[in-house]
Amino acid sequence: MMRVLVLGADGFVGRRTLAAIERAGMTAIAGSRRARTAGGKARVIVNATDRGSLAQAMIGIDAIVNCIAGAPATIVANAVALFAEAGDRRVVHLSSMAVYGDATGRITETAPLDERADGYAGAKRDAEAAARGNVVILRPGCVYGGGSPQWSARIAALLAARRIGDLGAGGDGCSNLVHVDDVARAIVAALSPRVKAGSIYNLAMPDAPDWNGYFLDYARALGTVPIARIPAWRLKVETKLLAIPLKLLEKAGGRFPPAIPPSLARLWRQDLRLDSSRASADLQLAWTPLAAGMAEAAATSRPRKAA
Amino acid sequence: MIVEAADFADGATLAADICIVGAGAVGITLALELGRSGLDVLLLEAGGTRAEAEVQDFYRGTVTRPALHNPIHEYRERRLGGSTTIWGGRCMPFDPIDFEWRDWIADSGWPIPYSALNTYYARANRICEAGAFAYRLDDAFDRAAQPMIDGFAGEAFSSDTLERFSCPTDFGRRYRDRLAALHNVRLMTGCAVTDIGLLASGAAVDRLTLRTRAGATLSVKARHVVLAAGGLETTRLMLASDGVMANGIGNDHDVLGRYYMCHLAGTIGDFRPRAGSAGVWHGYDIADDGTYCRRRLAIRPSAQRIHQIGNFVARLHHPHIPDARHGSGVLSALYLGRVLIPRAYRKRVEASDPFGLRGTARHVANVGLHAPEVARFARQMLLQRRLAERKFPSVVVRPRNHSFSLDFHAEQEPNRDSQVRLGAERDAYGMRRLEVDWRYTDRDVATVRTALDLLAADLRRSGAGTLGFDPDQVEAEMIRYGAYAGHHIGTARMGTDVRRSVVDPDCRVHGISNLHLAGAAVFPTSSQANPTLTAVALALRLGERLAATMRDVAAPAAIAEPERIVAMAAS
Repeated sequence: MMRVLVLGADGFVGRRTLAAIERAGMTAIAGSRRARTAGGKARVIVNATDRGSLAQAMIGIDAIVNCIAGAPATIVANAVALFAEAGDRRVVHLSSMAVYGDATGRITETAPLDERADGYAGAKRDAEAAARGNVVILRPGCVYGGGSPQWSARIAALLAARRIGDLGAGGDGCSNLVHVDDVARAIVAALSPRVKAGSIYNLAMPDAPDWNGYFLDYARALGTVPIARIPAWRLKVETKLLAIPLKLLEKAGGRFPPAIPPSLARLWRQDLRLDSSRASADLQLAWTPLAAGMAEAAATSRPRKAA
Repeated sequence: MIVEAADFADGATLAADICIVGAGAVGITLALELGRSGLDVLLLEAGGTRAEAEVQDFYRGTVTRPALHNPIHEYRERRLGGSTTIWGGRCMPFDPIDFEWRDWIADSGWPIPYSALNTYYARANRICEAGAFAYRLDDAFDRAAQPMIDGFAGEAFSSDTLERFSCPTDFGRRYRDRLAALHNVRLMTGCAVTDIGLLASGAAVDRLTLRTRAGATLSVKARHVVLAAGGLETTRLMLASDGVMANGIGNDHDVLGRYYMCHLAGTIGDFRPRAGSAGVWHGYDIADDGTYCRRRLAIRPSAQRIHQIGNFVARLHHPHIPDARHGSGVLSALYLGRVLIPRAYRKRVEASDPFGLRGTARHVANVGLHAPEVARFARQMLLQRRLAERKFPSVVVRPRNHSFSLDFHAEQEPNRDSQVRLGAERDAYGMRRLEVDWRYTDRDVATVRTALDLLAADLRRSGAGTLGFDPDQVEAEMIRYGAYAGHHIGTARMGTDVRRSVVDPDCRVHGISNLHLAGAAVFPTSSQANPTLTAVALALRLGERLAATMRDVAAPAAIAEPERIVAMAAS
């Protein structure tokens, strides 16, 4: 039976990927920094930025799924170490649509990557550049679903606080949503040797709504309607005045309301539409309908009502 | 993208697949729609991004009877966004009966059925930011709602339909970035079309002549031209373009500029609900999508047929503001503070028959007695109107004396003698200014009077309350402020008979292969509804049809790069 090591197995995508791999009849081994029981699943402690540690973890492994997230430096160091040690094993590497930078219009996998980006987007680009060998790269859009910290839980909290809603021109960008189960299915499909080494796939549901549409539909699923119209000046206050203190508080620990950094507000406006028709064809994906995906997400990330 | 008129040298010619004249609700909608087609679109706007007196001056004209119609440089705006920079935002679809031929109304009937527009209304609502296309209480709300009037069951009237409001969205501000991002759409402000030049045969538009604010004269050569400059300006442009056709374009049969309709509106009557004002809900409900919705009393099609009248709606309104006997602190505060109210709304607050010093004293007393209520109202106006992007649409006050008035909005029938035409005066570009001779008919008065009678009967029969009004005052109230401002309808009506209409069912000017009209000018009838939503829906239909037509015809060589598409096959 094929043995697949999942790096970043405790993350949001990693957890769903473990389950999907098991469902597909393969053995999933959770690679994680921490020792923790994972519901009886096989587990290995690994430092994913360290070649020696990775080499050790890969003994007896046929393929690797790389769901490592973290600081930019971690992302790059992990990719460099992983691709140096993977040999001819199939690596399914999770990149991001962030590599396209501020491009607009319909974007296929051959679109140029943003050469100037730094931070997260730059790290994702550099990680892709380190990829070699028997690799398949996936570039998901915004991954939502139950437990999604960014595109479900955070959005739910912001909707409940009426800090977002109908953003007008500020929410005209395409959401490029992709349900986490679709990402997990794409990962499993990409493990197949029938998928050519070096392939790259965008992952986003076809006909993804714009952000305004998503916020309204998700608020309906959560029961936080009616939504509020957020004036442009309020978003400016969020991104220019509130974002930094909220981010600092979040880093200091404790439960604080989520920040809306300028990059997030920019994304909500960005008219970039990921073309995922290649993934639909090659990986034979049936995309989760938005209503079903939101219902699943709402069931877990419904904000607790104030007592 | 946005291009500057000033960048073009005098005498330059611009080419485009489609040139849209006017960047208001309709022109912007059309440009966004065509932006998806990949066609090369040029969107022209005479004004800039702000209100400027010298630009607005081009809209001046004369009005035959000033008491009946506003000066025509008011309630329409020559700038990006057009009149959506000042509109109230009420978004209402037409009713199916409005499209039918009604044998009791001469020249009624559209050459297209309601179903031809129904498919576009949902998107039109979205573009206007008026939420879902749901205009019945049950469709728009899951939760149970208080009835509009306790115990009301109307034979002639329904009370479960809604009106929905746009933010009100300024189309220029809202969609400027979207237009700028479209690679195949060029928006050019500060350039006014002064002439539509036809081929010598008169069968097609050859070129448009433009004047820029910098003083240059430019030409536009486009495969198709759409005029979307509003009901008055579109008419003026066609009448004034008399180089090939002496009567103006599309005016072979003296129809252009005639059948000019607005709406008939006013405030009348004394409605006393049986259960007092607590048994009435005349405020706003907020839909899931955040839009403000309000119940209204709408006359049923069957009643229109039986009584041979036009369409009609009424809203429950607060009592006459200048009359302090209403006892409302809020209304008295509005009266006392009327100088602070925007001019467009102020006339409704000002007394035509002054109540004198004693009246003023009573207003002051009302404010003093109900100070907390006035403070709450002021807070709401500040937070939900002034500072909000989606604005609380109007003043809603629960009258203390349990007396409501009716705010009605009625159809005006098509009337050949109600007309806009060219006058003798000319604007700074030498174009003749308009002269407006708006008229209403006895049937228009009958529509309002009969509808009020029917409503009074419905209320009485169902025991929901009483409605008193003076039938002899109906006409006076109907024209107290003249024709409803800002609705310019019917001047280039749609039809199949070239002798009785200006455009065909595709909004193409009869006999001219590449000239199309968009906007309320083409409406053959005026309905009870405000025209913007239907004008936007028609623009979506026109855009779809134009794009389809042009796909079928081979495009000329030089067309701007379409929206960025990176071919997958290249890998």
